[in-house]
Amino acid sequence: MVELTSIELNPDTHILLDQPLLRTPYNLSRQTFKAAQRLIEHQTHILLKDISVAAQSASASASPSKSISDLDSILAKLHTLQRKLSTLHEDEKRHIQASKSRISHLSELYNMQSLVDVKYDAWSRTRLSRLLVDYLLRQGYFESAKALAGRKGIEELVDVEAFMGALRIEKSLREGRDTREALAWCKENAQLLKKVGGEGLEYQLRLQQYVELVRQGHEMARERMRDEFEFEEEEEGEGEAEAKFVEARAYARRFLVGNGDLDLLGRVAGLLAYRPDPERPTEPYASLYSDARWAFLAGLFLQTHHNLYSLPPRPLLHSVLSAGLSALKTPSCHSKIASSSANSASSTTTVCPICSTELNELARNVPYAQHRQSVVEDDPVVLPNGRIYGRRRLEEWNEKTGTAAGWVRDPMGDPLGWDESTFKASEVEKVFIM
Amino acid sequence: MDDLKQQIELLESGANLSDTISDVQKAIDLVAAVRNKLDTDPETAPVALARLQRPFKEAMDRVQNDLKPAYKALGKYSKALDKTFKDKPLPTAEDDALSSHPSLINRAIAMHLLREGEFDVASTFLKEATSHPTHAEPTPGTPNPHDEGLSEQDLGTDKLSPQELQAHFQSLYNMLHELRTNRNLEPAIAWAKSQSQLLELRGSNLEFELHQLRFISLFTSKSAQDDYMTDDPESEMDGLLRAWAYARSAFGPFQKRHAAAIQQLMGAMAFAFGVSDSPYKRYFHNNAAWNDVAASFTREYCSLLGLSADSPLYVATTAGTIALPHLLKMQNIMRQKNAEWTTQEELPVEIPLPPSYHFHSIFVCPVTKAQSTDENPPMMLPCRHVISREAMERISRGGRVKCPYCPMESPVKDAKKVVF
Repeated sequence: MVELTSIELNPDTHILLDQPLLRTPYNLSRQTFKAAQRLIEHQTHILLKDISVAAQSASASASPSKSISDLDSILAKLHTLQRKLSTLHEDEKRHIQASKSRISHLSELYNMQSLVDVKYDAWSRTRLSRLLVDYLLRQGYFESAKALAGRKGIEELVDVEAFMGALRIEKSLREGRDTREALAWCKENAQLLKKVGGEGLEYQLRLQQYVELVRQGHEMARERMRDEFEFEEEEEGEGEAEAKFVEARAYARRFLVGNGDLDLLGRVAGLLAYRPDPERPTEPYASLYSDARWAFLAGLFLQTHHNLYSLPPRPLLHSVLSAGLSALKTPSCHSKIASSSANSASSTTTVCPICSTELNELARNVPYAQHRQSVVEDDPVVLPNGRIYGRRRLEEWNEKTGTAAGWVRDPMGDPLGWDESTFKASEVEKVFIM
Repeated sequence: MDDLKQQIELLESGANLSDTISDVQKAIDLVAAVRNKLDTDPETAPVALARLQRPFKEAMDRVQNDLKPAYKALGKYSKALDKTFKDKPLPTAEDDALSSHPSLINRAIAMHLLREGEFDVASTFLKEATSHPTHAEPTPGTPNPHDEGLSEQDLGTDKLSPQELQAHFQSLYNMLHELRTNRNLEPAIAWAKSQSQLLELRGSNLEFELHQLRFISLFTSKSAQDDYMTDDPESEMDGLLRAWAYARSAFGPFQKRHAAAIQQLMGAMAFAFGVSDSPYKRYFHNNAAWNDVAASFTREYCSLLGLSADSPLYVATTAGTIALPHLLKMQNIMRQKNAEWTTQEELPVEIPLPPSYHFHSIFVCPVTKAQSTDENPPMMLPCRHVISREAMERISRGGRVKCPYCPMESPVKDAKKVVF
């Protein structure tokens, strides 16, 4: 049988939910490292070639001033390389510092005795602030997120940068209808994306780019037809539209044909023949022309991004809070009858967090906690009106409120309705809970 | 954790890009030296440049090699991460029953921020959340969400407008600040006095506790010096006299209900010059008293507003972080067995929480093992054993029920609904 209550703190299971906390800065470190590696490889290749060309032209008795300018240009490239490496090194230091702070934050758990340790309370409050900042960032509430992180001094424990970057790109897709930033991001992370199976994003972005080219072509062709109708001339338009279609076909050959299933490629080719027509949408082409694709791309981008950085798809606050609401919820929390054991009517009880205004509505749809055994106050007694209390608490409350000797008042009764909620002490009876 | 610490320190101390930067500098020096020489000896260019080839390549090779330690260290760190989080599933969208109610979440957050006294953050948040409402997402419980959006009006409770709520928390926060930081009890005492009747009806001793602490702090403000001699016995007596005067003016209304405690406090005056060695020590040298009073003050204040004392968001997320690993494990097992739990109303597993996370009494019917609900309330039989209505109906015969726990048999109509 499972214990009903437990104050045991198992740090190993406890940090389970905080996996992203360490994964994210690690992924950022790895990304920075890869960028540095690419930069060095690329520049070394260029510099070695430059210097051998310079040596050749010097031995081929070019003028010394040519050699000097060759070396100057090499020096300039070296300085640029060094400057870029320094920038990357600064990023690297920041990510390592973040990892370090987070590790020490998590290791604090290993120095705590139990869940009722005061240190755990403080730690858990910091964690809530972290979860809140994460939530605010995901919703794009950057000002609130930064303000809260600053007030709590937890800047190193939250990923402001990663989220701000991601949401900027997401917005460029959703609202700006522009694939450039997203494609640049794909290029930057190509290697890592391959590893986590995130190449689908780039393909969809390329597809959209192609659709836009085709759309432009159709628009130009229509313009031309209208112009022709009005002015009966102008050959130029046709050429422009045709050029767009040529560009689109070339784009498709370069980026789309290699992958994608035949069915999709068929639709891709068909687009050239079917112009977008909102009045008579023809499938399977209309869905490719649809505006809804931008929202889809934005969503796909976020999903790919979060996957790459090991960030959960939904805010952790949601998962944790749903679990917590359930763990605390009892059938009494949404009952029409006020509970005898947790209410705001007397100082001997506290309001249950699920009954409190903040969470009550939110908890309505979650399951309640499982209990296999009654949990009631010691020495339960029943009043003639059916309310059950622990004897000690009932007596204490009556003593404090100055009930006359020989009488017992129901703490849940109407405070002024003396008659209905006041009973003779002899009417209070012991009740048996098995 | 120690492994992770070690690896990250390695990355911090040397296995990073710092070496590449200094080795690029060496390459720069190398080239610069040749280039500067050409200024004075331009005709040596062919030889100098030819001679530069090898050292330059070596310098650039060194830059490339500098990456190796960082690469290795990152790899080790990654392995350590994998080991720490081995086989530990992350929550998925399935565990999220709340995305369908974003404005309720936003409301809970705003109220939490107010409780924490983060009034500026709360107002920034409200501004952002009302101008860009969160998009509702379908969840297992609510597949077709419809969300009204958060407006500032939603922040209030049934009884309070949002402005009132904010004002209440602001004043709570100010009073707590005075109490905790400045040890100034006056604002709290003034509030307790204004709510005196309500507090009394709740059976709260808060007002008296505040006066008592004030008395003690006056008393000890001077007698704290009793270890060393002061030249001025007047000032020595000062605190004592003020405490005495305070007692006379403040304790009057409490004479009847708190006679014993007042007697104790007065008795302590006899030991004014050595209270730390007296039997009254526990009243006077008790730093926890300030925290206790602050806590009971907060509890009473929130209770009068119909709110729980600690932030519900805090309590619920803490409980959630304890519960979620259990639930994820359960899910894993269910998935492997291809099973689903039958009732959506109750969690599939019991979550052990610390006792302070139990608020309501819980009645589980000893016969059916089901928790009581409004539809299936607990019924007390005349023998005062309690079973659920469903169980009672199930075991009753001809309008009579025999208690499963004792020999008594009674008419069903004599069973009485009880409330825990």
